[in-house]
Amino acid sequence: MSNIAGKSYAMNVITPITGWPYYLNRFIFSLLQFSISKQLGNAGFLGKIVPTALTDYVFGKLNGLLTLSLIHYARWAIIKEFPHLDSSQPKENLKYNYMLFFSNFNGSWTQYVDSFHMSIPEGLDRFWFKNIKYPGSVPLQPFHDYITYNQIWTNHYYNAYPVAASNDIKGAQELSDALTRFIAAGAEQESAEDFQTRYENLLLDQQRNLGLMEPTPIVSLSAEAVLRRESEDG
Amino acid sequence: MGNRFGNAYGLTVLIPIKHGTEDNRSYDKIIRDKLQQWPLDEQSPLSKVPNTYLSRVFLLNDVFYEGAPAIEEHLKNKYLVFSSNFFGELDDYLTGMWNTIGDLLKEFLQHCVVFDKVNSSADFVRYIKRCQIKTSLFFNGSTDKPLDEQLKALYVKQAFIHFAYLSDHFRYEGERGAIKLQDAFKRFVNLIDIKNFNVPSWPVATQSIPADIELSVKAIINNVKEADK
Repeated sequence: MSNIAGKSYAMNVITPITGWPYYLNRFIFSLLQFSISKQLGNAGFLGKIVPTALTDYVFGKLNGLLTLSLIHYARWAIIKEFPHLDSSQPKENLKYNYMLFFSNFNGSWTQYVDSFHMSIPEGLDRFWFKNIKYPGSVPLQPFHDYITYNQIWTNHYYNAYPVAASNDIKGAQELSDALTRFIAAGAEQESAEDFQTRYENLLLDQQRNLGLMEPTPIVSLSAEAVLRRESEDG
Repeated sequence: MGNRFGNAYGLTVLIPIKHGTEDNRSYDKIIRDKLQQWPLDEQSPLSKVPNTYLSRVFLLNDVFYEGAPAIEEHLKNKYLVFSSNFFGELDDYLTGMWNTIGDLLKEFLQHCVVFDKVNSSADFVRYIKRCQIKTSLFFNGSTDKPLDEQLKALYVKQAFIHFAYLSDHFRYEGERGAIKLQDAFKRFVNLIDIKNFNVPSWPVATQSIPADIELSVKAIINNVKEADK
């Protein structure tokens, strides 16, 4: 059982929500998701008729989340009804709806929760708006306690690139695209001097992406100890 | 719409586990034990499923009681939760999953409600869709390129950094150095084959840094130096 795969941590949180906040949260999430889709140009017919100024304003509310570059993917899903597949399966009879939160991020649990708390406290209060006994993102300790209490451990966590941080993946794509353009722009008879000038400009332009990937830094000492033990066991 | 962010898809699935026991052990315990024995990283069954970025499986035994004055309530079923972030369309992804690890799934999910009726990839797609919880908000903080393109980019990044470091002294050797730098770069372009996403590339789910990337770049630089002698 582990929430850690390489440099990534898997967080699962389930919290109850009920009444009108449930509908309001659904609406807010839909609006945010729609604004994302419109920003990406795939909002369909509705995207053409909803004013861009409105969706830009809503998308702007995600700025804090976008600055948290340690996140690979994060997701909220509200369960109105648990899957019921057959009459042999007892049907759930619940008063509350339940909100699931999943995140994949780099670094430790504390680093992540504290980053959220510091950079988007209002955003957190919007995402968990009126969830039952949600204490608010400020002050920090009750928020820590709330997440800890409602978190579920992952049994199996898979990461296609354990050694890479989210910034490595984004940076690698930028560098790879820049390199592709650089190669294509090279003239057949380019002089060595001209090449060197272009090359040095490329280095200058891409310097933020020129960090070697290494297994370090580790997410936690205990995770490192597990890895060491597993490698010793062979 | 909520399940997607660009080309990335966020899948949330809650599969109900049957009530019952086998050899005096409840089905959920059997599933948990099997899950715990899945190998990790490159050996994980999920590494075989095309276009999986990050994925997890866990058991949801119950919901939490938040304390008074909240209502205390409990689930009547236990659920196997599968959460995956991947590139592409859901049907293609699930079909790919069935085609690659279908045998493992048949064994692993045998104690889940009506899974015994799943016999083909089409059945599997239908089954998972019945268990799917629609995402309300999906945030993609990474790229939404196909996995092979992401892995290739990681390889290119690592290789280019080695190249930049190992060839750096050419930049300070005047006209002759510029010629060597250009020569080395041409060899480097041949080595990385940037438009070929299959090879050479970053190994999927590897926990270690592939040593051959640095060695192959080093060989290029040494060959250029040799040719200049």
